[in-house]
Amino acid sequence: MTTFPTVDGLRALDEKHLIFCERLEDPLAFEQGQFHFSAKDNLCARDFQARAGSRVLKGYRPPFDATPIRRLKEIGGLLIGKTNMDEFGFGTFSTNSGFGIPRNPFDPERSCGGSSGGAAAAAALIPEHLALGVSTGGSISCPASFCGVVGLTPTYGRVSRWGLIDYGNSLDKVGLLTRTARDLERYLPVISGPDPKDPTSQAQPVLSMKGEVTSVAVPTEALADLSPEVTAAFGEALKELERNGVKVMEVTIPSLRYAIPAYYILATSEASTNLARYCGMRFGVMNQEFDQGFNDFFAQTRSEDFGPEAKRRILLGTFSRMVGFRNRYYIKALQVRQLIIREYNKVFEDCDAVLTPTMPFIAPRFDEIARMKPLEMYQADFLTVPPNLAGMPHVSLPCGYSGGMPIGMQAVGPQWAEGSLVSFARSWEESFHFRFPEVRA
Amino acid sequence: MKIGLEIHVQLPTKSKLFCSCSTSGSTPNSSVCPICLGLPGSRPFLNRQALEMGVLIAKFLNCKISDKVWFARKTYFYPDLPKNFQITQYDSPLGVDGHFMIGDKNVGIWRAHIEEDPGRIKRVGRSGEEVALVDYNRSGIPLVEIVTAPDLSSPAEARDFLTDLIIELRHLIDVTGAEQTMRVDANISVGEERVEIKNITGLRNVEKGLKSEANRQTKMLAAGKRIVRETRHFDEERGVTMPGREKEFEEDYGYIGEPDLGTYRIGALAASMTVPETPLVRAARLSEELGIGAQAARQIVLTDWALADLFEVLAAKVGAEAAMSWTMGPLSSSWKDLKEKVPELREDIVGIVTAVTSGKMTDSEGRMRISALSSGQEAAAAPAEDVGDLDALIVQLVDEHPEVVRDYKGNERAANFLIGQVMKATKGKYSSKVVAERMKKELGKKV
Repeated sequence: MTTFPTVDGLRALDEKHLIFCERLEDPLAFEQGQFHFSAKDNLCARDFQARAGSRVLKGYRPPFDATPIRRLKEIGGLLIGKTNMDEFGFGTFSTNSGFGIPRNPFDPERSCGGSSGGAAAAAALIPEHLALGVSTGGSISCPASFCGVVGLTPTYGRVSRWGLIDYGNSLDKVGLLTRTARDLERYLPVISGPDPKDPTSQAQPVLSMKGEVTSVAVPTEALADLSPEVTAAFGEALKELERNGVKVMEVTIPSLRYAIPAYYILATSEASTNLARYCGMRFGVMNQEFDQGFNDFFAQTRSEDFGPEAKRRILLGTFSRMVGFRNRYYIKALQVRQLIIREYNKVFEDCDAVLTPTMPFIAPRFDEIARMKPLEMYQADFLTVPPNLAGMPHVSLPCGYSGGMPIGMQAVGPQWAEGSLVSFARSWEESFHFRFPEVRA
Repeated sequence: MKIGLEIHVQLPTKSKLFCSCSTSGSTPNSSVCPICLGLPGSRPFLNRQALEMGVLIAKFLNCKISDKVWFARKTYFYPDLPKNFQITQYDSPLGVDGHFMIGDKNVGIWRAHIEEDPGRIKRVGRSGEEVALVDYNRSGIPLVEIVTAPDLSSPAEARDFLTDLIIELRHLIDVTGAEQTMRVDANISVGEERVEIKNITGLRNVEKGLKSEANRQTKMLAAGKRIVRETRHFDEERGVTMPGREKEFEEDYGYIGEPDLGTYRIGALAASMTVPETPLVRAARLSEELGIGAQAARQIVLTDWALADLFEVLAAKVGAEAAMSWTMGPLSSSWKDLKEKVPELREDIVGIVTAVTSGKMTDSEGRMRISALSSGQEAAAAPAEDVGDLDALIVQLVDEHPEVVRDYKGNERAANFLIGQVMKATKGKYSSKVVAERMKKELGKKV
């Protein structure tokens, strides 16, 4: 008998793990047995502020619901809160939030992963809960892996982005984090489908929940630079899959090594334009120094309200777009994306999914993160960035544990093949026991 | 002297370019939504009508139409720009490499594309306590931008070009008030280096701004000074161009593709469109086909499109010269009243003009009848050919008025009384020429 969610229960969890940017505090809002969900703070809902983890959006209350939120409400769902995240999705550990750093459900000294860190923690800690997450370059897979939950990132264009506060529009995808694959099967069809408010959602074929994964390809490129415990757990998982009759083959996908640089150029180029609107005109705390030129006024707001990682990505992205660099970086990155899509599709001629570990290590401790350089952090995403760059659907599943911390694996499917990934997840959870943190209400 | 223009004209759609807000909001900030306000999480969708108008214009300008087009983000910070980027087209305009004729001169068109307008800044309050307010009603209004080659050789020619262009566009897509709202960036070089005059509103100001800048450059060169490549603004009150304040360096807009809108294939759309005949094209055709002067043809077409229709009908019947003198004379002077009635009265008008030119009616009679038609008098139409009823009426009147017959013997003008009676009784059914002939014939019998 679960006692969640209650206002007190959520508050207790939030105090310990800093899951939410904002949450329901009215006990009367909860109905016993009602389906409840949370949304990453970059998804707009009328009920709460939408700040995308950024101080620049403090006090911003959207006048409309994001389409996936609206669709979940329409089937009777209760939105219980907005989950904590890296500012605008910029990060791998949710340490770049303007509203506190969420703590790993298994060990509060460790990261939840990012950028959908609060969403993964909510999924792990609250039974029967569905967390809406968003992935641009791995922001669903990574925290799903670190928090030991199931994280599905649909094909780019499968779920409407209306109401999603943009990071990189050509990469952003709304997806699901839950304890069980069954919930993916249940709720993916609800949030999917064309939406006139997002033209990029209108080209999709009808979602089919059929299909299965009988063969997986493991790219050799993915097996270098892994921590020993991840290597071991992934090896065991492959054996278990083979015992279950899944054919495992090794392949090489040489272009994967270009995914990180191409991703950071495209994502930051788009981000630097998306963030231009936050300048103190209508967003951001207006300081009182109006007797200056607008450029200085804007610069002051932006200097004060953006965190260091946001500033870094604005600078990177602006640089890549400038005359003289545009062709060398931005245009070339677009070409690399096409190359990676082609190489994936080639691999999918012979198998149903590409399988790798999700992250190269278990959730790191905050003191370890503090010592990492930005480039090391970027590099940590080398397994989650490629499918995101290519817009391919992928699912991260718990596949092992080390020292009490979960380890995840990630299956990437062809475009629009979410159905076979969900069935893969369902059969995996039948053969592998998922562990969840114990929570006292 | 070389002048090239970048012309922005509003497209007359009902809703904005990327949302369904009305384009005709008047109360400030009444016609806005999350999309044109650039609220986080909103995204654009394309107004198909605006795209079609843009393609039609590109086609009219004889541009090569790209099959695949997409949009771009032009990023710059300005308080009237909600997203601090403008959605426009950069590396895939609707059309490129076109041309437009002014008279016999061919002016190259480099490109035509569509884009969204920013908001509008209004400064209010007393000097020194000025406050800038932003009205976002204009944010997202669809514009077409037309960029010419530097083929114009004087400020007057630039103005002529714009005048002609607007005449054509107004017919093509029904832009009203384009003279006032048209915004132009003008590039001008007297010597080697060019200077851009930004954001001039209205035709007269374009010419004035260019003249003043041409003078400035000429004087600089005469004084042995070098022209610096820069952006200037035209100060309408003082009539001079001033250096732009903000920019010390060439602006880099850091264009990237607009990822929310995708790619549009417009090849088939463009191929399926026929460009209707525009006023100046029509004038050129009339001039050539009918051998009338270019100015006269232009005047007819520009007076009114339907008047030109009537002219073409008349010219086919009575020849260009007569058609012209009637069109530019009696018809155009009473056109205000005639215009509405022309569909029903066309036959009558053609009949009157034909009657006059074939000598069946006097010129003044014809004019009188046209004027009667325009003021709504009945039966002012072409004279009837059958004079049977007329003769009967004349016989009757002559019998009733022996005093007139008597007077007529001494003075032929006495017949005018009876002619007037007949005209009145027949309400202009017969021409006065015919009535007079028949009346004199009848009276002659009695003498």
